[in-house]
Amino acid sequence: MFRSRLTFTLILLACLALSLFFVIYPIYVIRPFRPQGAGELAVALVVSRFRAGVTIASAIAALASFAYYWRFQRLWWRRILAAAGALFVCGLAALARVNVYELMFHPIDRASFSESTRSKLDGGEKVIAVMVNGEARAYPIRGMSYHHIINDEVGKTAIVATY
Amino acid sequence: MWTREVDGQRLTFHLAGINNQNFIMRDEETGTYWQQISGLAISGPLKGRQLTPVPSDELTFATWKSEQPKGTVLDDIAQFVPEYAPKNWDVRMQRMPAVIQFAERGMKARDLMLGIQAFGASRGFLLDRVLKEKLVNDHVGAEPVLLVVGEDNQSVRVFRDRIPGVDGAPDFYRLAPPKPGALLMDAATGSEWNFQGCAVSGKSQGVCLERVQALKDYWFDWRNYNPQTTIWGK
Repeated sequence: MFRSRLTFTLILLACLALSLFFVIYPIYVIRPFRPQGAGELAVALVVSRFRAGVTIASAIAALASFAYYWRFQRLWWRRILAAAGALFVCGLAALARVNVYELMFHPIDRASFSESTRSKLDGGEKVIAVMVNGEARAYPIRGMSYHHIINDEVGKTAIVATY
Repeated sequence: MWTREVDGQRLTFHLAGINNQNFIMRDEETGTYWQQISGLAISGPLKGRQLTPVPSDELTFATWKSEQPKGTVLDDIAQFVPEYAPKNWDVRMQRMPAVIQFAERGMKARDLMLGIQAFGASRGFLLDRVLKEKLVNDHVGAEPVLLVVGEDNQSVRVFRDRIPGVDGAPDFYRLAPPKPGALLMDAATGSEWNFQGCAVSGKSQGVCLERVQALKDYWFDWRNYNPQTTIWGK
């Protein structure tokens, strides 16, 4: 019985460590005002790509371990501690789905455009301008420097405007 | 600016991180990560693929509007306007630290460049000097190029310094003062040219110079992605 409790405890701790690594490492490496080395960036991006799946699997394993642990553990405070650990792993799985960069810089979900002659934009404002298949479009830089990306279609061509 | 179709599949991009102060995008269709400045896929199923660039200009709105009265401009998103950069954002950005430095040839990290990657070479033009000179004749690789500052003294365009169908150097100079709709004249054909690089009068009327794409960028970022770049203006 002791061995079973130990096994489930170790599984729970392993799930916690794994989920913490998959959530925290990319955020640690890929953050503003910090230089990114090529090697660590490559690792961080791979971790990011598999983060959602790994943290879900970890949460499932943590919950299953907790369920078995509950059966074998009589002390109430240890049960609560294990419950908190499993809950934390589930919380990390939810956090893994949050795009912190889009929390900082909200994406443009629904863009609208005005004819240039009707726009109230000041003449001195800088824009990035494109001409695609005869259609002209401009993106004000002050707004683009916040949103950074807009998925658009100009001249029947799908483009991504970036700044 | 990039097209966002790869192998016939339309991709939708999201902001996904930063790499030495140049941002990373991720497409939701394949989960691939792309570097914003180069359009190169750096991690994921499409790693190594390259987005196709869309030629673009950085202009003042007034200049663009005068050229494209039927064009459309992105509206501000009202709820986020308080988050947008202030009007003096470019001055404030100059003071921000850079995480990588290339202190070569006396260059400072946030010196603003007009970077040209064309004709098998990379060359960065110090923007302040280009704006001061208003007309720059130079070369990128072996090709002669012409950098022209617009009447707003802020917008810059780059052209191949050759008039199609005309042998020899065009020898452009600025009209002082500029005439309405004409900024330059060339000594080879005696034609007047507008800021879009098209001749509006003279023997070359109707002919347009070939545009060359230029990128306004900080020195540290330009140099990071163009390690072989040469510099004009320093």
